[in-house]
Amino acid sequence: MSAIITATALEDTQVKRNPGVMRLCAMAAAAVAVGLTVNMSVTSNGLMSLLTQATIYAVFALGLGFLLKQNGMVSFGHALFFGMAGYLVGAAVTLTGWPVGMVVVLTVAAIGMFAFGLALVIVRVPGIAFGMLTLAIGQSFYVLVSKSRGFTGGADGMNINFPAQVFGMELASFQNPSSMFLICWLVLVALVLLLALLLRTGFGPLTEAIRENEERARFIGFRTLLPRAAVFAVSAMVTAVGGVLSALYTGFVSPESLHWSVSGTVLIMVVLGGSRTLWGPAVGAVVYYLFRDFVGEHTTHWMSIFGVSLIAVIVLWPAGIAGGVMRAATSLQRAAARRLA
Amino acid sequence: MIAIQILNGLVYGSLLMIVASGLVLIYGLRRVVNFAHGSLFMLGAYIAYAASLQFGFGGGLLAAVAALAAVGFCLDRFGFRLLQDRDPLTVMLVTFGLLLVFEDVVQSIWGKQSYSLAAPEALQGTVDLFGSPFPVYRLAIVAVGALVAACLVGWLRYSRIGLFIRGASTDPVTTAMQGVNTDRLSGGVVAVGAALAGLAGVVSGPFLSLSPTMGSDILIDSFVVVVIGGLGSFAGAFVAAMILGQVQALGAVYLPDLAALLPFALMTAVLIWRPSGLSGSRV
Amino acid sequence: MSANYALEARDLSVRYGGVTANDGVSMHLAQGEIRGLIGPNGAGKSTFIDALSGRRAIAAGSVHLAGSDITALGVVERRLLGLSRSFQRTSIFPGMRIGVQMELAASKIPDADPDEVMRELGLDRLAGRVADEISYGDQRRLDIALALVGRPSVLLLDEPMAGLSVEESMKLARHLRNLARNWGVSVLLVEHDMEVVFGISDSITVLETGKLLAEGTPDEVRAHPKVREAYLGSAA
Ligand SMILES: Nc1ncnc2c1ncn2[C@@H]1O[C@H](COP(=O)(O)OP(=O)(O)OP(=O)(O)O)[C@@H](O)[C@H]1O
Ligand SMILES: [Mg+2]
Repeated sequence: MSAIITATALEDTQVKRNPGVMRLCAMAAAAVAVGLTVNMSVTSNGLMSLLTQATIYAVFALGLGFLLKQNGMVSFGHALFFGMAGYLVGAAVTLTGWPVGMVVVLTVAAIGMFAFGLALVIVRVPGIAFGMLTLAIGQSFYVLVSKSRGFTGGADGMNINFPAQVFGMELASFQNPSSMFLICWLVLVALVLLLALLLRTGFGPLTEAIRENEERARFIGFRTLLPRAAVFAVSAMVTAVGGVLSALYTGFVSPESLHWSVSGTVLIMVVLGGSRTLWGPAVGAVVYYLFRDFVGEHTTHWMSIFGVSLIAVIVLWPAGIAGGVMRAATSLQRAAARRLA
Repeated sequence: MIAIQILNGLVYGSLLMIVASGLVLIYGLRRVVNFAHGSLFMLGAYIAYAASLQFGFGGGLLAAVAALAAVGFCLDRFGFRLLQDRDPLTVMLVTFGLLLVFEDVVQSIWGKQSYSLAAPEALQGTVDLFGSPFPVYRLAIVAVGALVAACLVGWLRYSRIGLFIRGASTDPVTTAMQGVNTDRLSGGVVAVGAALAGLAGVVSGPFLSLSPTMGSDILIDSFVVVVIGGLGSFAGAFVAAMILGQVQALGAVYLPDLAALLPFALMTAVLIWRPSGLSGSRV
Repeated sequence: MSANYALEARDLSVRYGGVTANDGVSMHLAQGEIRGLIGPNGAGKSTFIDALSGRRAIAAGSVHLAGSDITALGVVERRLLGLSRSFQRTSIFPGMRIGVQMELAASKIPDADPDEVMRELGLDRLAGRVADEISYGDQRRLDIALALVGRPSVLLLDEPMAGLSVEESMKLARHLRNLARNWGVSVLLVEHDMEVVFGISDSITVLETGKLLAEGTPDEVRAHPKVREAYLGSAA
């Protein structure tokens, strides 16, 4: 009897360590169902638009969290990729007549390449200086864009005149909270699924090992620069997708979207949600928006309250919300196993 | 013209040096990258402003430096010390949370408008330098910078505490093993670091204007300084602050469109050349 | 002649600022040879291993692997050519499962068998555990296991027995002997446990304050007057 239980427990941990593709797809399907349910049950337009905003930032947080999870590095400059995506899409739509679908793909690819090149230089900078470096880089672009002249609109930002048809759909579906929520949600789920699949390849353990102990990774025969730069580029591309969604939704980009406080805020979402899972940061983004909406109604000292709660979460709950959920799930599972025995 | 710009660069460089050496002190002993450092700078300026309305510039200066030293001590005692076994990123994010709190506090007391702190009577007016008038006060900033640098060098070189700090910032493990009690020192050291940020805030008051964003502007520049100089290195930070001051001042005149990118370009160039900054990791 | 050596160091010098931690040290390892490297604390043993493995830049001298000069090569290239090492201060991947990190280490080398290494070092039953949850002794053995994967031609082991029980040390010693005798692996063994070193080494090198003090078979070294005086003391 006990042998059988040990065997099932073993199998269980095996599944957890290495969730099968089927299992991942099932989880993705469940997440899509959640999105549909939310979409149908929320009737307030205000709440819907809050959730749409939250989902867009969830994509941003997913990208930033991926960097922290696989590289162990904190970027205070990721807003650069978020804002830059909006500007690139806007510029391409304004200056060329290319279909929006192509513009979006090119934008994300261009940001991926830019980030990869940048990473080759900056990723060698040790841990904490890296955060400061990304901050300075992001901020210099913020200043550059806000002082720019011409069609980018300088500090006023830039309106993007999208054509009436985008990806074969009416532009209106991207700018209406309810349908846009669904679009963003689907994109988010698809990206989480893609990243999860990516981590199931050799890339997952390799980058994890480099994060854990870069020197030892080299002593077991792996060059570490390219994998680290690749993680940075993937993270920037996911963030860029968030920027594209934001540009589509609002039809507008402003230099504010490049400001380091945006990077900082999203980093808070990541930490709040917990960066040890892929989905934690996305949850953090949603919680952040709901919490801010709730607190914002009652006080103007939103920043202080937020700063204090951030400190509290970091100190008391280092693994974030996702960490708490995983712990609860594990102990539930254990309890269930014990009852079976 | 160029001579005046170089002087302006020296002025800004001196300010940066004061702020950055506070960052280096805190990093050196506690391995904490203090995101709240810019807020401390801002807090210093605002406290001095409030106190100066009653007691004049000198009173404001004393009040700000004393208040910030107290803040720094508390920061260490009730923050960094309790978090010393945590991952540096965690502590960095805690200081980021503090930044939000400090900015909110300043905004709710003083609002969003900007103020200016009056320079002391004796330092108002201008002198003729290289054929054009130059504010005396700016020269005073350079003097303060030089004084701070001299004091720091003396302190680090010739005092026992200084020896420990230099030891701890190159090799915290060995220093800890040699029985140096980091906890006993660090309250005072972080207080000095915070007081330096406050001092820079006060001194910059009549030069820059007081606004809720002044903290993050200087924070970013001083991060650039610290990273270029090599984290934890005083000598590196001194040199980098002077270089950055010149780059900012000359860039603003000769390359106005690209001035904002220059610090970044400089930093990238230095880091490609030496990934751990000008000084490596030596003091 | 030198082409016959699996590993050879010629006049290696390493400096830390003003300190000369290795001063013109020469040493060679024949194929299948186990060489003990001993010396008091701070003699420069770890520094020597760092220099051989490419972790530390050298000020002078050269390193040759199977006759070819690898002085200019980096850490990764050296490992891929078959020069592998363990660490005095345990260096593993703390947040990863043992099985996963062993597989990763094996994935870079054709025909490497991580399961065999884990079995040999008694880590097989821990494959599913995360490294920072296992005991210190197990972590030490994981460090060595990571170096052993893929059966490198040269192994540099920096105090592998520190932190192991007597029994575990004996087992590891037998395993090293087996690797050397049956698989032709050359081993440079830094160890403070004299009984083990003199027991399993074919030859011994003694360092003191960065310089070569003596070299030879265990018996020669034991009898060497300078060694007796400087290191083994009257007890030997
Ligand atoms: N990173 C370093 N920076 C400066 N000096 C160092 C460094 N590492 C080692 N040293 C010095 O170099 C000398 C040799 O050190 P090493 O670690 O190689 O000795 P060891 O023989 O391995 O000693 P042990 O038996 O204690 O491990 C010592 O004097 C040590 O203090
Ligand atoms: Mg050693």
